[in-house]
Amino acid sequence: MSGIEAADASGINGAGLIGDANPLRPRNTILKRYCLIAGFASVVLVLTAHVFVFQTDWARTGGLGQMLKTAAWFLPNLGYFPSILLALFETFLIALFGTLIGMVIAIPVAVLAARNVTPAGLASYWAGRVTIVLSRSVHELIFALIFVSALGLGPLPGMLALAVRSVGFLAKTTAEAIENIDIGPVEAIEATGARRIAVLLFAVMPQVFPIFVGNVIFQFDINIRRAAILGMVGGGGIGLIFAEQIMSLAYDRAGTVVLGVVAMVLLGEYISIRIRSWLL
Amino acid sequence: MAVGEHGITVDDARRDYRRFVNLGRLIKFIALLLFCIFAVWTAWYMNMPLERLSGMFGRIGTMVFNRMMPPDLDYAMTGNVFYSILETIEMSFLGTVYGVLLAVPVAWFGAWNVTPSRTICYPLGRAALVLSRAIPPIIWAMILVVILGFGPMAGTITLVLLTLSFAGKLMSEQVEAIDMGPVEAIRATGAGEIKTFVYAVLPQVKAAWIGIIIYNWDSSFRASTILGFVGAGGLGLYLRSTTQLLDYERAMGIILVVIALVIASEILSHFARRRIR
Repeated sequence: MSGIEAADASGINGAGLIGDANPLRPRNTILKRYCLIAGFASVVLVLTAHVFVFQTDWARTGGLGQMLKTAAWFLPNLGYFPSILLALFETFLIALFGTLIGMVIAIPVAVLAARNVTPAGLASYWAGRVTIVLSRSVHELIFALIFVSALGLGPLPGMLALAVRSVGFLAKTTAEAIENIDIGPVEAIEATGARRIAVLLFAVMPQVFPIFVGNVIFQFDINIRRAAILGMVGGGGIGLIFAEQIMSLAYDRAGTVVLGVVAMVLLGEYISIRIRSWLL
Repeated sequence: MAVGEHGITVDDARRDYRRFVNLGRLIKFIALLLFCIFAVWTAWYMNMPLERLSGMFGRIGTMVFNRMMPPDLDYAMTGNVFYSILETIEMSFLGTVYGVLLAVPVAWFGAWNVTPSRTICYPLGRAALVLSRAIPPIIWAMILVVILGFGPMAGTITLVLLTLSFAGKLMSEQVEAIDMGPVEAIRATGAGEIKTFVYAVLPQVKAAWIGIIIYNWDSSFRASTILGFVGAGGLGLYLRSTTQLLDYERAMGIILVVIALVIASEILSHFARRRIR
């Protein structure tokens, strides 16, 4: 609610100006609104002071000049670039297969979590919902930590962490799409005496397929970014190299890795745009 | 034998149809086969220990139900950890507020249809959106920790960039989808770029933008729980120290607190979105 007032408060809202002159609006509503704006602004001010003044060691951070000097350490060292290409490729593969495994797991979860097709009433509905919430609220690094301790270091736990993390978004959007389908085809297929699985395959799936594919591509796009950090906890990919370069204070090499990640993300975005226009 | 209009028999037509169906199936089959080969090659290339998968569920079960149980919730309520939970919420709030303040002009500049100048402002806005999106938040956080030092300031600025990348992109897409009629009408009165934006663009996108901002606060809160992992403030720091000490009961306590907070924020944003509708 304070977020809504925030948008109004920051003067980006033209309607507020009209509101002052509007005789139809009671005066105390305007007053209430200004009080809310003032309250919100003071909360922001106090928190800002807390974080940026009291919680920051300005003696260590230095002024703007010092910051720019530190930032310049990150200027990429292009000679290092060829040696990270293989790690980038590995990261890309982790993202790709993580998304695909997640896609396979997400389909049954979506069926469970869609109110109109869930097989066993409330029990299976809530099972699906809880899976979605767990997958969405735990960060991929935590999943990677769990899988690394179960499978050892390497890209396999990273892939599974991405897969489990992707299930939430994919199943949630797909379940919503299933809940919004046109019921006509379902009734038509049911009238032929088809079994439940046939109804799902021939009445539900064709309707949600384009939405599902679009979301899988979107998720792949996100997973490329996620895969780039999994190496920090032993999940394979470029993240390990980045963490190593930061820890050994080789900031120019870290900058090169960042450049590589940017290139990979942009390439992934280009590929997903092409696949989207080809498939949909 | 039935003969069609152009002297094509039904059998001919069926054969033609079959040929294309079979061709389609063949292409699909070959694609699937190539993909399977690619998957197997990937597993081989990355030395994946697939044989370990069989015991995976047992080991995860042991870890989650023996070593992480019972979760040490008391630890999550001790002074420093509880303070870091508040700090996480504070960071996500400030990050969203300042991120939105930054995202509004960027979304305006980066929208092709109403951008103040297509040669200067549009590329600037686009570059800001693409660059902030291309670098993952944790990497931003690590860079900013080096530049700004440990603490919530680096985390807050990371979240500002996350908001800019995420909300900024969605907001500028909304602007590109507006009806241009009001824009032309306001321009025809001789209004400048800023007045055009305030009176023609904003009223059209306001509702969608507020929805995006609420959703963004939700996702920046999720991201903020992990930033402490690299020293950028918040409760990620305690998550890292407990997992590195293999103190999984305490780690699970923190993870449960994170899950509870994320669910709470989701419920809060659900009601906020319902209220504006």
